[in-house]
Amino acid sequence: MYDINFQSFIDSDHSPFILFDKYSKILYLNNSAEILLGYVDKKELYDMALQYAPQSFGVKTTTLNLNYECFSFYAITVGYECEEQIYIRLYHTPKVKQNIKLDTNKLILTDINLLLEANITLFKSRYNTSLTLLTDPDIPKFKLDQNRFSKLLRKTFELFGHTQEISIILKFLVGEHIIIDNKRYHIIHLGINSNTKIKNSSDISTIAKECFVSATIYEKSVILKIPLLID
Amino acid sequence: MYNFISKSPTIQEIIKGLNLTKALFVSSIIIGEPHTGKKALISSVFDTIPMVSANDTEVLKDILANHDELIITDFEAINIPLSLLEDKKIVATANYITNQNLIDELFAFIYHMPLLQDRQEDISYLSSLYLQEAIDTLLDDESIDIDIKDITLDLSQNTKSLKSSIYKYVLQHSMSKDEIKHSIYNYVYKHIDGNNAYKEFLDIYEEPLIKAGLSKYHSQLKLSSILGINRNTLRKKILEHNLDV
Repeated sequence: MYDINFQSFIDSDHSPFILFDKYSKILYLNNSAEILLGYVDKKELYDMALQYAPQSFGVKTTTLNLNYECFSFYAITVGYECEEQIYIRLYHTPKVKQNIKLDTNKLILTDINLLLEANITLFKSRYNTSLTLLTDPDIPKFKLDQNRFSKLLRKTFELFGHTQEISIILKFLVGEHIIIDNKRYHIIHLGINSNTKIKNSSDISTIAKECFVSATIYEKSVILKIPLLID
Repeated sequence: MYNFISKSPTIQEIIKGLNLTKALFVSSIIIGEPHTGKKALISSVFDTIPMVSANDTEVLKDILANHDELIITDFEAINIPLSLLEDKKIVATANYITNQNLIDELFAFIYHMPLLQDRQEDISYLSSLYLQEAIDTLLDDESIDIDIKDITLDLSQNTKSLKSSIYKYVLQHSMSKDEIKHSIYNYVYKHIDGNNAYKEFLDIYEEPLIKAGLSKYHSQLKLSSILGINRNTLRKKILEHNLDV
């Protein structure tokens, strides 16, 4: 019988795995969980582990829909064999391979502030929502499919049509990149926040993918991460 | 080239939006009832782009083959393969939505033109404009005093019915006796028929005569003396025409 070191398998497993003690302190986490904790609070994961734990010692897998910015999970497994420790493992939602090829020659150098202003104007012509905007006017022009991206902005703003006030932030995101066709691109962050719950839409993620934009819809906000395509 | 003037805040936002995207390669559409000013608005912003109605299929195809940017009016009537619209900058107007999915797919900016009845600022501006136009066009004596407040403005068909109601009012107040006779002649010529026409058409003369007299003199006794008829006869005719209010 071989002596197999399972820890190295778990370390490099694509699914985040975290082992907590009974005080919610992390005893062990794999590489994937380390990245995930950059986007979600460990307390939230610990509480979820307790909520979905089996009634008695053992393991229980539950299907559910979890979204943490760019991470999306379709199920979790929670297990414990003693009163001292509990673990949680999260399963990534399979992603459909995107067949759209990025052809920057078909894109047009665009001032994103101009497109944003036009979309805000469209929004204001339809809704009475009070609006604040914090933007970086020095964001350089970059390549966009102007029509498609404007459509994405329109649909994103429509999620906020019934809200009383929204705040919009457009900024250059430091330290993060999007990789498209093995090339790294800087990211422009567009966040729209409301004080009330917003609508949901399946269209947005489809159009966002066509624009090579990462779109995350939260309960009261939407974040678009837009690649800064210069060349 | 159209002139478009509006003081409505909603329309000001639409104009601002169109001007912001004027230099961009994005498609926009304005949807709204007929005669709300969509075409004039778009033409005033995009004055160098060719314009065609979606009803003129052959002309539309021809323009699409030779231009990357165009204005399509009456977009609800579009009846060409949609592949012809791909990779074009289209600025369109539509009186109503026939295919929401197509509009959603094709246009980045979808504006909704408000009805004239919801644009109080424009009603007052356009009424004064049309009244002056009507006076200039129809009256020989421009000193005739017509107050816009006396006109019942019809907004049921937006600018079309507004203009029509003002022109009709001015026309009614500018006609000479001969012109009134001529109008009655045309009306009677068109409608005279049956075996009781004399009585049926008498109200064209009698009803306005008594109504105007009552408005002017208030007293039936005085009016009967002005008209030179017996008071009982006048009373009978007032009842006949339901003018006893």
